[in-house]
Amino acid sequence: MIHLTINGKQITAPEGATILEAAKQNDIYIPTLCYDEAVEVYGACGLCVVEAEGIPKLLRSCSAKVSEGMVINTESERVVQSRKVAMELLMSAHDGDCVAPCQLNCPAHTDCQGYVGLIANGEYESALKLIKNKIPLPASIGRVCPHPCEKACRRKNVEEPINIAQLKAFAADMDLKANSYLPDIMVRTGKKVAIIGGGPAGLTAAYYLNIMGHSVTVYDMMDKMGGMLRYGIPQYRLPKEVLDQEIALIEKSGVKLVNNVKLGKDFTINSLKENNDAVIVAVGAWQSSSMRTPGEDLEGVYGGIDFLRAVINGNAPVIGDKVVICGGGNTAMDACRTAVRLGAKEVYVVYRRTRNEMPADKLEIDEAEEEGVIYKFLTNPISFNGENGKVTSITLQVMELGEPDASGRRSPVPVEGKTEEIAVDSVILAIGQKLVQGDVSELALNNRGNIEADPDFFTTNIDGVFAIGDATNRGASIAIEAIGEADRCAKAVDAYLNGQPLDTRVPYISKRDEKAIDYSDREIKSRLTPKVLPPDVRNKNFDEVSLGFTEEEAKAEASRCLECGCREYYKCKLLGVAQLYDINPERFQGEMPQKYTRDENAFIERNTAKCILCGLCVRSCREVMDVHAIGLMGRGFKTDVSPAFSLPLDQTNCTNCGLCVSLCPTGALTEKSSLQKQVPLNEDYTEEFVEIDGKRASVLVSRYNGKVLRVIPNDELSRSMQLSREELIEKLT
Amino acid sequence: MENTINLSLLDGVLSEYAEVKGSLITILQHTQEIYGYLPKEAIELISEKTGIATSEIMGVGTFYTQFRFEPVGKYLIMLCQGTACHVNSSELILQTIRDELGIDDGQTTEDGLFSLKCVACLGCCSLSPVMMVNEDTYGSLTPDKTKKILKELREAAQ
Amino acid sequence: MKIVIGQGSCGIAAGAEKVRKALLNTNLNAGDISITGCIGMCYLEPIVDIYDDDNNLTRLVKVSENDAEAIANFVSSGDQSAIESLIVTDEDSEFLSKQTRIALRNCGIINPDEIGAYINADGYTALKKALGMSPENVIEIIKTSGLAGRGGAGFPTWFKWNAARQSEGEEKYLICNADEGDPGAFMDRAVIESDPHNLIEGMLIGAYAIGAKHAVVYVRAEYPLAIKRLKNAIAQATEAGIIGNNIFGTDFSCDFMIKAGAGAFVCGEETALIESLEGHRGMPRLKPPFPAQSGFWRKPSNINNVETFANVAWIINNGGEAFAAMGTEGSKGTKVFAVTGKVKRSGLVEIPMGKTLRDVIFDIGGGMKTDKPFKAVQMGGPSGGCIPADLIDTVIDYKALGATGAIMGSGGMVVMDESTCMVGMAKFFLDFTAKESCGKCIHCRIGTKRMLEMLERITKGEGKEGDIELLEELCYSVKDGALCGLGQTAPNPVLTTIKYFRDEYEAHINDKKCPAGECSDLIEYKIIADKCRGCTLCARNCPVNAISGTVKNPHTIDTSKCIKCGKCYSVCKFGAVVKE
Repeated sequence: MIHLTINGKQITAPEGATILEAAKQNDIYIPTLCYDEAVEVYGACGLCVVEAEGIPKLLRSCSAKVSEGMVINTESERVVQSRKVAMELLMSAHDGDCVAPCQLNCPAHTDCQGYVGLIANGEYESALKLIKNKIPLPASIGRVCPHPCEKACRRKNVEEPINIAQLKAFAADMDLKANSYLPDIMVRTGKKVAIIGGGPAGLTAAYYLNIMGHSVTVYDMMDKMGGMLRYGIPQYRLPKEVLDQEIALIEKSGVKLVNNVKLGKDFTINSLKENNDAVIVAVGAWQSSSMRTPGEDLEGVYGGIDFLRAVINGNAPVIGDKVVICGGGNTAMDACRTAVRLGAKEVYVVYRRTRNEMPADKLEIDEAEEEGVIYKFLTNPISFNGENGKVTSITLQVMELGEPDASGRRSPVPVEGKTEEIAVDSVILAIGQKLVQGDVSELALNNRGNIEADPDFFTTNIDGVFAIGDATNRGASIAIEAIGEADRCAKAVDAYLNGQPLDTRVPYISKRDEKAIDYSDREIKSRLTPKVLPPDVRNKNFDEVSLGFTEEEAKAEASRCLECGCREYYKCKLLGVAQLYDINPERFQGEMPQKYTRDENAFIERNTAKCILCGLCVRSCREVMDVHAIGLMGRGFKTDVSPAFSLPLDQTNCTNCGLCVSLCPTGALTEKSSLQKQVPLNEDYTEEFVEIDGKRASVLVSRYNGKVLRVIPNDELSRSMQLSREELIEKLT
Repeated sequence: MENTINLSLLDGVLSEYAEVKGSLITILQHTQEIYGYLPKEAIELISEKTGIATSEIMGVGTFYTQFRFEPVGKYLIMLCQGTACHVNSSELILQTIRDELGIDDGQTTEDGLFSLKCVACLGCCSLSPVMMVNEDTYGSLTPDKTKKILKELREAAQ
Repeated sequence: MKIVIGQGSCGIAAGAEKVRKALLNTNLNAGDISITGCIGMCYLEPIVDIYDDDNNLTRLVKVSENDAEAIANFVSSGDQSAIESLIVTDEDSEFLSKQTRIALRNCGIINPDEIGAYINADGYTALKKALGMSPENVIEIIKTSGLAGRGGAGFPTWFKWNAARQSEGEEKYLICNADEGDPGAFMDRAVIESDPHNLIEGMLIGAYAIGAKHAVVYVRAEYPLAIKRLKNAIAQATEAGIIGNNIFGTDFSCDFMIKAGAGAFVCGEETALIESLEGHRGMPRLKPPFPAQSGFWRKPSNINNVETFANVAWIINNGGEAFAAMGTEGSKGTKVFAVTGKVKRSGLVEIPMGKTLRDVIFDIGGGMKTDKPFKAVQMGGPSGGCIPADLIDTVIDYKALGATGAIMGSGGMVVMDESTCMVGMAKFFLDFTAKESCGKCIHCRIGTKRMLEMLERITKGEGKEGDIELLEELCYSVKDGALCGLGQTAPNPVLTTIKYFRDEYEAHINDKKCPAGECSDLIEYKIIADKCRGCTLCARNCPVNAISGTVKNPHTIDTSKCIKCGKCYSVCKFGAVVKE
């Protein structure tokens, strides 16, 4: 036996062992991407380098043998720097999206590609479960979300983005119609968490903390839970019955809901704090913002959310025939369309920029117009005029678009001396909402007048009190933003309750240069949207406008997904190592070595743009299988893995043994799953045995929610039998 | 062009080297001498006779700059890219050849007369800039001299 | 009477074969006309040496086939008048007389195609002598000589031989690395073309010393003449019983094999060379195990460079002490350099270690061939670096040259004047290494490519602050992380140019200027009106019609049209076109 020291730990290793082997046997991790016991040592990746005392060069631990008295450091500054640069170089030439842009752009990081793909396969239950990993209210959110995911969807570069939000609503509706999914709850921890506010933020935090085993109670001042989803969004967009069902499921999963209790009246943050281990403040922003325009206090001038809430509560004010809504956001749309439904004859939306700059969802803008709403662009109210304390007209300043500002938007400037006056019966100011500060007097506020909460840990000035959602930091935003915060906050609170540190580092993700992607080979397939009620029908009632996707429509729409995210994301070794070093590959940005292409046969898909040239596939095909279906072609930066003469795999002697796929440390080689449309999923791989010719053969079985997705040969016998995957699956069952 | 490959020309090479281990590069060199490049059919035959997989043969063939997989022109111009040639403005010679023949590195003129290949140092540094056309070396090139050489070669071919 | 024509590749390229044919067409006796290899005065090729019956030499240089009759006339009549202008000057003769030739001792003197010529020059006496000693004794002599690997790394030859000798195994290989790939180096080619038997003898002595029965020469495919002459020499030596079984009647047997490379610089790395010898892609193997333990066909193997072997026979004949008497404390014997670039006299120079760069470039090389001042010398090719003018007195010694950031290298010495852009030079070498990287390890495959891209950006005027530091960081990482010598040394040209010419990098990045006036994106061509005679030559040559003007009136360049090809600059006979 050889005695040596690694990272200060004295160990022994058999003579002839490599440093890597010795380290492994002693649970000392050394990264490597090109080493595997199945094949001969190769030494390409250079990640396994270590520093040995007295040896000037870094040693590749996969090949350097242990020697008596050796003193090794596997994590010295020099070693870390070498690995860091190696990873940066590698990633600078690795052309692939780990995660689809839709998911990255979703504030809650919902796995859009995952559930869209599952829907395409008709796996609605799995799709719903995947959604509920991030969103506990998907039927509601699917209906109301302004879907940042779709803005990032690459399909827009072909024709139009995937209708992701509606697909979410579809999957959630399917679930509500049948055996609704309830999450598994972890062992109860005995810790108590109180959440103030039952809107999307509060409910989401409650849902996930409950799953983690904590006892959660949500306190809300209104009659019912749902917050702005219930009291700020009209029935025709989000039927309350849908919301009720989803909240009922949250309650059923174990969250305690208490309504009609108000912070500052029935309890204080500190009083809750005394009886709970943690408190989350998610009170939202319930006060309409002022425009600071003369006449705002006249009778007949309403705040946007106040107006919507009154209508929802059945106390609709008398708005008359002529109504003006000020603002261009989704609340303005909700207000104008509600006004139409209340019977107003002339409904105007006054907005100081043009249609193109309106922040509201395009579909909403169009649908409102269909329902008879009149837009007055490039106008800005300068006074509300009244008689006897009641508003009678509104004076508008005519605007024009000036120079683009810092954000690139052309800001409106008044046209000197040009005004316009409209006679009105009522005015609705839908220009934003803010926190009711008095409610949270115990907490420190920031200079915007919102609760100051740590962006990563969501902590406030009081220990054990966390804050999220519209009430915090930058103020009111969209529901999915609050849900994302709530999900992360739940993890932060869980870590706090368990006294554990929380890793808030943003993981490194490889992203393709969108400008460089060629879509010319994609077939044009137009975006599908659910059918809607005809305008002249819907503008007279509060029935839901959208009829939702049919199953057929949903599958067809989901099938349009370009599958941007990498299928190997969940088991990518490359990505795993990338997280270990604080890498910034952008500094080495340059040409990509290979074109992004696909070569596939029935089982294996190759994409050399993602290849890191570890050589494991070529070496295992040669050394282990003696098949030689693929080889290294060319040299240097442009070295490529390919069959001879660039033939497709189909035309080689590849036996589909799958060994190359299982050794590939990244997504260059993928084994196709039994799903029609391929989806990146966090599958479980287990070793199982099948009988082949009376002998036991080992296979790797991948399952997702119980469904067998792949069976990959795992020993000499199973690899040499050349059975099709169908035959292997059959043998398994 | 492809269907005129006479594989029997390889008989001699294969009978001499097919059984000798480590001879792949030598076999490929002889094959290229025969055909001017490495035809796919020849590679398949070599694979059959030596037992070396086509993926390996292509791996070796594409690794070394000597090997070609397309027929080359009557005149293969190998322009030296060595340091001395660089310092003595070989870039101007490359530009001249490009202008005169309308081809870039690795390409062949449409009439099949000239192929251009930029190669590593030819070792005639004292005569830099240098090019080889088939077996002949031309040194101390200037743009005008290069034009003259190309013109003479073209005339000789007619 | 003997008429000898220098017929190395350079000589032939310069027209030596045409001269030989022309001489054969005269009334000269064909039997008197013979060839020799490379004389080393490449800048004077073709060279014809005429020895009279008393062996007095008349050397004619820059001979053309039109001179044949005059030469024939001189030989028959002794009339020098018609060949006066061809006779080498005393100054040019110094190029050879100032050298000390050991490895090149027969080059340009004997006929490389005749074994008899080599034997007449005491050839194969060293082999006979060595076979009379024990292998350990041979290694001891080499140890005493201090001979170190001439391929670049400078590792002690005796140590490698000893390691291979000590390695267990019946079957061992002795390999000669003649894959001379450094752009700008041609010493090895000259040795093989001019004195192939010297290489064979050195290798046989080495094979005997380590106990190898097989000798292999790996030659680049770009050297067809060297391969031809070596093949011929092997055949002759085999016929003479010098190669084969029971050499000189002893127990020692050794066969010889030539393998031609196929165009891959990385095959100069010994493990890549072995992969290539075995018929594979020339991708380096991991070390350990070292070739001495497991090399060609996994058998103990020893690899030395051509020039190293070319010294062996001389050392055995003259003793290790005689060799060690030359040179410095750490670097013994002589070294051959291929001196090229902007130097007046280019060619092969062999001098004792311990001389200075000035001795080679100015004393022997005659200084600059242009009127522009000396700027730097590049040594060691893509693995080496640029040594600036103020270090011209650096001593030729492994350690001293290493201290500059460059390396001794295999002997390429490219001389540069002020018109060479040093950023461009670094880019040239990185372009080379990036193309030649085998692609196996990350640091070299991607690192050299990224360095090249950064240098390309800088020379295009797209450099930004921090680029120099980023380049340096990447350089050090690649040196540390690359698998083989190619990658580990690839950053040297960048690092040395940054070290000595940082201001030039800064000028490209900050001022978007190329001080040497070489980077076309950063220069502008202009016509000085006072100097322009209106000859219209520039306008007629401009490929994009960017030059306008009428006959006998000053012309002007439209800079918006100009593609900076430099044609006007090179055709102007009055120096009226300038670049800024």
